[in-house]
Amino acid sequence: MAAPCRRVVSRPVIQFLSSFSRTAVGKTGFRQFSSSSACRVTLQTQDVMERATSPYSLVAAVCLQRLPVISADYKPIEQQFRDMMLQMELEKSVLSDHELRLLEDAERLRRKLADDYDSDEEGSHDDQEIVLAQDLEDSWEQKLKTFQPAPRVRDDLDKNLNSVERCLADSLVLLAEQQVGGEKIWLLPQTQWQEGETLRQTAERALASLPAAGFKATFLGNAPCGVYKYKLPKAARTENSVGTKVFFFKAILSDSSPSTAPNKSIMWLKKSELERYLKPAYFMKVNRFILNL
Amino acid sequence: MSLALSRCLWQVLSRQTASLSLLGENVRSPWFAPVMTLKTSVPLSAEPKKKKRVDPRRELIMRERLRKKLKKLEKVPPELIPIEDFITSTKCLDEARTRSAAKLSFEESEGRALLLKEWCRYKQEQHMAEVQAIESALEAQREALEELRIVSEELYQAALKPDPLLFPFTHEGPVHTPPQAKYEAPEGKYNDITKVYTQ
Repeated sequence: MAAPCRRVVSRPVIQFLSSFSRTAVGKTGFRQFSSSSACRVTLQTQDVMERATSPYSLVAAVCLQRLPVISADYKPIEQQFRDMMLQMELEKSVLSDHELRLLEDAERLRRKLADDYDSDEEGSHDDQEIVLAQDLEDSWEQKLKTFQPAPRVRDDLDKNLNSVERCLADSLVLLAEQQVGGEKIWLLPQTQWQEGETLRQTAERALASLPAAGFKATFLGNAPCGVYKYKLPKAARTENSVGTKVFFFKAILSDSSPSTAPNKSIMWLKKSELERYLKPAYFMKVNRFILNL
Repeated sequence: MSLALSRCLWQVLSRQTASLSLLGENVRSPWFAPVMTLKTSVPLSAEPKKKKRVDPRRELIMRERLRKKLKKLEKVPPELIPIEDFITSTKCLDEARTRSAAKLSFEESEGRALLLKEWCRYKQEQHMAEVQAIESALEAQREALEELRIVSEELYQAALKPDPLLFPFTHEGPVHTPPQAKYEAPEGKYNDITKVYTQ
């Protein structure tokens, strides 16, 4: 079934690949992009031989994201707007029961302290004299102070790139250091595709095979969210493998066991920090589908 | 009164009999029918009316009609459930509750107007950035599916299938402070006084 399919789409494939190699700017030491003519020649020869499988080996990678745990800080304009809105809403509102009570108590106190005070005029306000609204407010504040919330920002954790609890206000992406063709590079965790399984299962396997286990992830659907193609250097190219196609699958971290010690071989990075650690061409493709929302 | 009535009746009867006897003996009157001709007198010559069978049916029909009329009267449209948000409670309209409106200076009101416009601009930029990000993600996915189709048709079909286990998907949203490892929430009790309406 794959063979007739390939024969039909061979011409657009050639055009697509040639356009791709022209536009890609990869200057990585490991992945080199051949000139368009060489690519066309290799594909034509393969077409003539009528191979059953495509010349690219399949690899599936997983883009695991830890969504933000705490709300982000206000930017200056957001803070200004928030203050203005609160002020406007206060002005347009009416007095609440608690505020009315405060006003009454203040009024009564003022009358008590005045020189011409006549307690007979007051009438029976025995209950309200004991507990003033101000006292209630003070007791509530005391109760609030007894609660110590956890700190929002912890600098030591933020700097530790391996910990999953860094930068709680941003969404983090998991990177693993893996061996690819003789080099150890930082990339999204990936493994080779095997016969008889779908690409999503390969991605799940990639996640499970990481040395730092214990990630419970929810994969978002069966379809890949991005693709990265690269060709092996001319020396390593054979008839069967021209290069590799890496398909990315998105997953959301549902619950990581905090007991696992941070492993040196994995990193949790914000979207802005990804550029430093990924190869340029790879980063260009990956940056498109990682949303910072 | 009864005496007059009886005298009237007697007069009527006597007149009738007088007139009848003048005509002849063959005239039969229901009043003075001879005993021999009792069987063939006028009221007894007709067939007896079959009241026993028709009456129950008629009664049933009458009862059903009454029931239907009652049902139509009872069919009141269900009372609409009031939306509590749309009803201003009379407590808020109390005059004693109005705040003393502080007058805004000219600079203050100008500042507010300018801040609103800046906010508008900021939000628009945010929205455009969001839309662009989503578009680029969709484009990346489309390319990936194209490539997958080129590679293998069956993997492509497997990728297109919807995932039944994905939904319902829940995720706890961001909070203000991170969760504490060992925190015991204080015990509390509350009385729920929300009004529940039934139609």
